Amino acid sequence: MTSNRVICVDIGSTYTKGAIFRLAEDRFVVEARAVTPTTVDYLPDGFFTVVQQLSPGADWHNLTAADAPCPVYFSSSAKGGLKVAVVGLVPEMSLQIARLAAFSAGARICASYPYRLTRSCISSIEKAQPDILLLCGGTDGGNERYVTENAQALAASDFNGTIVYAGNNAAVDRVSDLLADRELVICENLMPDFGRLNIEPVREAIRRVFLDRIVSGKGLDRLVAAFATQPVPTPLAVLNLVRVVGENIEGWQNFALIDMGGATTDFYSFADAYNPDSGTIMKGIVEPKLKRTVEGDLGMRVSAESTFETGEAYLAAVSDFSTEQMAALKNYVMGLTTNTGHLPANAIERYYDSLLAGACIYHSLMRHAGSIEEVFTAKGRVWAQTGKDLRRVSRIVGTGGYLAAMAREGSAVAISDRAVLPTEKTPLLPEKFVYLSDNDYILPLLGNLAEKFPRQCALTAVSSLTVTQHYEVKEPCQREFIKA
Amino acid sequence: MSATNIVLGVIGFDCHSVGNKILEAWFTESGFKVTNLGVMVSQEEFIAAAIETDAKAILVSSLYGHGEIDCAGLREKCIEKGLEDILLYVGGNLVVGKTPFPQVEEKFLKMGYDRVFGPDCSLEKVSEMLKADIAAKAK
Ligand code: B12
Repeated sequence: MTSNRVICVDIGSTYTKGAIFRLAEDRFVVEARAVTPTTVDYLPDGFFTVVQQLSPGADWHNLTAADAPCPVYFSSSAKGGLKVAVVGLVPEMSLQIARLAAFSAGARICASYPYRLTRSCISSIEKAQPDILLLCGGTDGGNERYVTENAQALAASDFNGTIVYAGNNAAVDRVSDLLADRELVICENLMPDFGRLNIEPVREAIRRVFLDRIVSGKGLDRLVAAFATQPVPTPLAVLNLVRVVGENIEGWQNFALIDMGGATTDFYSFADAYNPDSGTIMKGIVEPKLKRTVEGDLGMRVSAESTFETGEAYLAAVSDFSTEQMAALKNYVMGLTTNTGHLPANAIERYYDSLLAGACIYHSLMRHAGSIEEVFTAKGRVWAQTGKDLRRVSRIVGTGGYLAAMAREGSAVAISDRAVLPTEKTPLLPEKFVYLSDNDYILPLLGNLAEKFPRQCALTAVSSLTVTQHYEVKEPCQREFIKA
Repeated sequence: MSATNIVLGVIGFDCHSVGNKILEAWFTESGFKVTNLGVMVSQEEFIAAAIETDAKAILVSSLYGHGEIDCAGLREKCIEKGLEDILLYVGGNLVVGKTPFPQVEEKFLKMGYDRVFGPDCSLEKVSEMLKADIAAKAK
């Protein structure tokens, strides 16, 4: 085997999946795939099973990077993924930026707290024991009180993960003193001036902590040493893929990707958050071009019950179900929560699954997207925007086992271009787009190649997708903006 | 010692931006670290900025005549958010028409603003007052 091949492995919470790719000119071709249940007790076992299947010619267990037949890249979301708690100051400002930063590092946010950490916050942090706690608040030279008080509270707590500090730089000394006996990483403020985002250093700090400390905690250090490779959290692999596609492929400068799983729905977008020429006035922070949000209450199996709760009004509205039919749907959902491996057995169950998928997509999209609100001023009507404008998004990609299966069966994926339920503000949803399906469910694996082979990875990704549906707004509702 | 933080902006749906730019330049030159929120700023935005930057004063402008409605309640919201000690200055064309300034001033003082200014105030005097007021609060 020659070195124009690479192996990618993703160690997920239930399955360890892998593929061997061959680089043919400008893109990768899948040569073989393998999957095995994740070996939670010792993750490298499942990893070696997969690699050995993909490339049986070598004795992978006893190899070193130097004599491996091809390079190996891997990502992991096993053992709870990268669990992060976020502590900020004002909810819409530093806390919101911290959440964006943590998500964009591939984290799963287990809790976020504004202002002061109370005793009950501390005890829930102690109970959750996140891998990382991201502490921030205050612009540089701004508020010091909250971060120092929160550092004090953490110093007195039984939390023993790593603390990443990315708040007011004037408080660095006090915070370092207070947390002297903790694993503390200091990085640049994620909001150095009011409203200015500085997310990269935090992302990098979290990446380093993941590599230096968390990887070994999850038993993956053996693989890092053997293959001289730097693993990433699975969502970061996907985010990297979204970035290289947006940066390298013409026509993909405004797109979104939905990764829907059993437990969560992850929503990614690559799009300009604010278009000044749309005539709206921006309120609050301008979100980054590359954005990820994660909805822990939206998923097809483990989270089916909470999806039903969150989505009940949506489900009733789109299905036209009678009370009895809704009860039958609920019954199905309750069954899923206990039997998370269930696959739809007949047409009605397939319909139920597609409704649930619709609810996951609808609510994750509504939360990811910003909104505009009409305000009347002495000068006339003006539109005030908060959050990210997704109206120009022209492609939506669906990935994850459930969406892939739905596409293969030919069931339509419901994506709404407007609020189905009454909302206070008008959501800024995509207006005209095509839906592309990752039928082979290859994107997360491919994401492992994004950093090393950006262009080839991006080309492979877009050419592996299948266009399944076209969506277009029949009557555009919010078009006549006036110039501010 | 690092510069004192102040927050500046034009409240409500007022989009008169010229005076705002002048104030930003003036107070920056006078040695303050100015967080300028620009035009069309809500009370919540003023407060969020003041908390994150640990501002010692919020300078509110209102030019378009809706000052009374837009400015009411800011003091109460500040107190609620833990900014009990912050200085609130307000200036511009605060009301519609030709109400005598002392009456306007009284109205805004009652609303909890520490100082009230008309459109023809001397900015030099304003920065002196601001420095003195901040120093007095620090004691
Ligand atoms: C230019 C202008 C506009 C432009 C603004 C363009 C822009 N991007 O800024 C446009 C055409 C958009 C406009 C629109 C309107 N305008 Co106009 N506009 C003016 C005008 C002619 C000049 C304003 C200006 O730039 N002045 C120069 C700057 C340097 O001065 P300043 O803004 O007053 O600010 C200084 C001081 O007031 C002071 N100051 C201000 N804030 C503060 C705060 C503190 C704490 C301190 C210490 C000092 C301070 O310091 C500043 C710097 O020196 C004034 C009339 C005038 N001569 O003032 C009317 C004027 C302000 N507008 C007026 C009105 C009514 C309107 C409209 C409602 C008209 C309408 N019906 O559509 C709209 C409102 C739109 C909106 N939503 O805000 C009225 C307000 C009446 C009132 N308050 O009773 C004025 C006074 C005209 C008038 N005499 O009727 N306007």
